[in-house]
Amino acid sequence: MVGLSLGEKHFIQGGIAQDIRSDGRKRLTYRPINVETGVIPQANGSARIRMGATDVISTVKAELGKPISLQPDKGKVSIYVDCSPTAAPMFEGRGGEELSTELSVALQRSLLGGKSGAGAGIDLSSLVVVEGKICWDLYIDCLVVCSDGNLLDALGAAIKAALSNTGIPRVQVAAGASGDEQPEVDISDEEFLQFDTSDIPVIVTLTKVGRHYIVDATTEEESQMSSAISISVNRKGHICGLTKRGGAGLDPSIVLDMISVAKHVSEQLMNKLDSEIAAAEAGEDES
Amino acid sequence: MAGKPGTTPTTYSPSPTNQKIRRPIFNENEVDWVRPDGRGFHQCRPAFFRTGAVNAASGSAYAEFGNTKVIVSVFGPRESKKAMMYSDIGRLNCSVSYTTFATPARGQGSEHKDFSSMLHKSLEGAIILETFPKTTVDVFALVLESGGSDLPVVISCASLALADAGILMHDLVASVSLSCLGKNLVIDPILEEESYQDGGLLITCMPSRYEVTQLTVTGEWSTPKINEGMQLCLDACSKLAKIMRSCLKEATSTSQE
Amino acid sequence: MEFVSPEGLRLDGRRPMEMRQIRAEIGAVTKADGSAVFEMGNTKVIAAVYGPREVQNRSQQINDQALVRCEYSMANFSTGDRMRKPKGDRRSTEISLVIRQTMEACILTHLMPRSQIDIFVQVLQADGGTRSACINAATLALADAGIPMRDLVTSCSSGYLNSTPLLDLNYVEDSAGGPDVTVGFLPKLDKVTLLQMDSKLPIDIFENVMQLAIEGCKAIANYIREIMLENTKQLEYRRGI
Repeated sequence: MVGLSLGEKHFIQGGIAQDIRSDGRKRLTYRPINVETGVIPQANGSARIRMGATDVISTVKAELGKPISLQPDKGKVSIYVDCSPTAAPMFEGRGGEELSTELSVALQRSLLGGKSGAGAGIDLSSLVVVEGKICWDLYIDCLVVCSDGNLLDALGAAIKAALSNTGIPRVQVAAGASGDEQPEVDISDEEFLQFDTSDIPVIVTLTKVGRHYIVDATTEEESQMSSAISISVNRKGHICGLTKRGGAGLDPSIVLDMISVAKHVSEQLMNKLDSEIAAAEAGEDES
Repeated sequence: MAGKPGTTPTTYSPSPTNQKIRRPIFNENEVDWVRPDGRGFHQCRPAFFRTGAVNAASGSAYAEFGNTKVIVSVFGPRESKKAMMYSDIGRLNCSVSYTTFATPARGQGSEHKDFSSMLHKSLEGAIILETFPKTTVDVFALVLESGGSDLPVVISCASLALADAGILMHDLVASVSLSCLGKNLVIDPILEEESYQDGGLLITCMPSRYEVTQLTVTGEWSTPKINEGMQLCLDACSKLAKIMRSCLKEATSTSQE
Repeated sequence: MEFVSPEGLRLDGRRPMEMRQIRAEIGAVTKADGSAVFEMGNTKVIAAVYGPREVQNRSQQINDQALVRCEYSMANFSTGDRMRKPKGDRRSTEISLVIRQTMEACILTHLMPRSQIDIFVQVLQADGGTRSACINAATLALADAGIPMRDLVTSCSSGYLNSTPLLDLNYVEDSAGGPDVTVGFLPKLDKVTLLQMDSKLPIDIFENVMQLAIEGCKAIANYIREIMLENTKQLEYRRGI
């Protein structure tokens, strides 16, 4: 927990009310975002995102698996978050599990769309190799290395960056296998397929402190929040997921206002993130 | 349960969710398809509540919405564990679990971590935790049968059980979910509808204060649609709260007699 | 299997007495009191140090010295095949203990009675020698946190395959089942604080292999010293001295 004195609390709240926060930002300004791709060579794709002191790593691993019988034409994606004890001593042992589950669920809700797959950032049917028999299972593993607030937005951005860094090997299916036989496959070492990541939404968390909302809150600011709403918005401006945190109740009209503010902010974030990812990819190719 | 509501069928037949061939339950081109149980799009299942289902608990409630049946018991406020640090407000501990026979496929009967934390987040804003410092309130929810919209039923039922236990709250918490199927919004979806949904929306709110304590959205939504969905759910919540309130009143009047 | 080719080259093209490329960086975790990243070839670990601070669990408090605690964890993506192990399996508990004992031996614990120092090491990529990499990272992180130490403890491993002593085994060489000697070494005091070996070796060869690992430790110590000097210079520069 953050230990803040009464004076510090007033300072933070007062600053937010006057639209100049403790680190000089305005209410709706993000901290500088630093993107690094390809940090884990063993994975199919990886990225590290730093927003101020918040530092997260996201990796994508693809494995061949079998589609579930109810949805034979779809691959599977799962997202796991792990909070490293390096981020805070309270994550030691099983201490980080609760937060890890909460973040994993929120990310799944924001990025994987509804049950039928509508609104998902990743097109699950593109992961199928042979219908009903072979598909790609994407395992997205995230690690929180250092935490200074706004983990969900950072993780969402890291997943987007990791997916655009991901190459899935092209698979050749041996002809002749029929019926219930599991067909033989040949995984190419050279040819890789890239993901189309333009549909993947970004997550914007609005933290309500006093009567105002701020984006990209630090840990100190988060300790002063009454409630927060994380909204994932895609390029079309549609909402792909929403999670509320914090116990305090909100008036429905405020919720709707927060949604419209988040949509506005998401456009800027999306553009900024895209250019950062492109720059990181270009930098990686050169080196 | 002691008093069966008149609305539920008297004969029992297993829900037909384990059919071999699954056909889509609606056709997008068809404008006026009917829901599997014959309800209108904006019509909730009949709700039945009863308090005092578990004698050993300080408060309990049973809820039945169609095939969804849950039982919630509340223990406490009782002394927090010794290892816990001093806290000048009370603690809330929530746990949601499924019976092994709740789902069509035999389950594990284990705790549902995701629902437990959602239940906690929905209730903590409504309970006046300042009234019982240094103590813990435990809320245990058990889903006897899962028939869709499990979480909203659990949340509404839990707030009723808390009220039955005499724990101070700002207001009752009512919860309603809806599914988006194609262009249509379907309120209070059953299991089948949930498995085909393009998107889902869940609201928990305190109707008399008109405050939303928890809100989750999945799937792709445009802003007008969210508006419409929220309005529908809030409306249903306030109606649901009336039913919950009358159930509480009924319980107190019978105990006085 | 042939681990050393007739030309005297190893699987990854190194000479038998050659170490993988090492890289270190101080201050990777902003919120920690001290932190460092240490890379040995493809092995990459992060260490973070919190403390000295108040003891969290009063019953563990020691009245005449500091309590040193350590937790080792591996990221899900750190190995070639994706693994999902529960936290605190036997291997990580053992490594946590080894790191704790090694670091405790070089920290001047008697200067900080009734306090606690936490060392957290997180493996990002595992390619053999994680134990050594963790100890090296922890040393740097402790130094960054300004915790008084007798000396910089460094660690390196060596093995014996195809009748050749090999320095700094990678994952493939490590899993060959040959002897694997991990040494923790205090370079200034010229003392060994950690010595582990699995499998068996004749005593005269063991001496050679251990000596090789010690040489490796000395080389790492020199590198770590350079990194720290560089870091201190930068701090000086930023302060404008």
